[in-house]
Amino acid sequence: MADLERDLHALAAAIDWPATPPLHPRLEPRARRAWLRPAAIAVVALLVAVAVALSVPAARSAILRVFHLGGVTVERVKVLPPAQQRPPARDLGVPVTARTAQELLGMPMRLPRLDMPPQLYRTGDAISTLFARPRPVLLTEIRSGDAAIFKKILSARTAAVYVQVGTVPGLWISGQPHVFEPVAVPPRLAGNVLIWVSNGVTFRLEGRHLTKQDALSLAREIQRGT
Amino acid sequence: MLQAQRGNARAFETLVQPHREIAFRLAFVITRNAADAEDAAQEALLKCWRSLGRFRSTEPLRPWLLRIVANEARNRRRSSGRAERLALRARTHLSGGAAPSPEDITVSADERARLLAELEGLPEQARTVLACRYLLDLSEAETAAALDVRVGTVKSRTARALERLREIHG
Repeated sequence: MADLERDLHALAAAIDWPATPPLHPRLEPRARRAWLRPAAIAVVALLVAVAVALSVPAARSAILRVFHLGGVTVERVKVLPPAQQRPPARDLGVPVTARTAQELLGMPMRLPRLDMPPQLYRTGDAISTLFARPRPVLLTEIRSGDAAIFKKILSARTAAVYVQVGTVPGLWISGQPHVFEPVAVPPRLAGNVLIWVSNGVTFRLEGRHLTKQDALSLAREIQRGT
Repeated sequence: MLQAQRGNARAFETLVQPHREIAFRLAFVITRNAADAEDAAQEALLKCWRSLGRFRSTEPLRPWLLRIVANEARNRRRSSGRAERLALRARTHLSGGAAPSPEDITVSADERARLLAELEGLPEQARTVLACRYLLDLSEAETAAALDVRVGTVKSRTARALERLREIHG
């Protein structure tokens, strides 16, 4: 190394830099990216195509393989893989505060109208709570971006149809229980489910006796953030 | 990275923590004002957070971060209109009671001060590329990202700036 370069390196150690300030910008929840809008439209178009395909029995095995919505991957298979039949309450995870939930979701957890603040639970980065309407309903929220986090495996006896949750696309899965592969716990059989994505968070409502109408009504409450 | 890209603010803080100092110093090299440098670095971190979803996680984070910091610092410098610009200063005594390095022994405080003054006297383009490469110890790729030029341009600018400094330094 030339002398001058060596001297410059030596100079670097002697520079009297101003003290580095703490630099803690206020990190607001990330806004939904503008380019996601075309992606959302594409997802809607795909889901509509899937819904149409589902209505044609001969096309089921030929067309419907895999599709995604938010953090959820849905697979259509001929034979369901083995899965335990256990109540959703068994997989709730560890209790967390609303503040922890907010940190993980990047925004306060959205809830329907409830008589009292529910206990929140964490499994991985997913926040869940269980409430009665009047039968048990499991609500799970997870900041998902584009990454696939949950997997749902459906046989031909489970219907999957596109729905609209307010202004965002959703997926209503009903009929024969399907296999749900959640975060960090073994697969289990799941009942009727509504999935939708809003502001980078994937929402999932599950209830064995949940009807499509009740699920959409609950989802609208949750979207309003009451 | 995946957690931060999913919107986990704490994961993002952890991710950028090792780069805060270099981010601030790079901003200072460009703005020459500690308050502007702090604002630029702060704003740059916020922009990184907002655009992290588009960052390819297979790429190194630091050049990407430094590019955003440098852009923000240049914008800040242009818009702030501050008249006062601080020159870099060299300490007369190196910090701590640690044994002096070979460089400390071979380069006296006076020589350091003279070299720094000469560096400061260079045109901005030459001064900035040398500050990035030698004072901040950025790699050629990081310098290229910070200056928004190709690596080849960094090499040629560095060579020309060194030549010019050598002429002055004697």
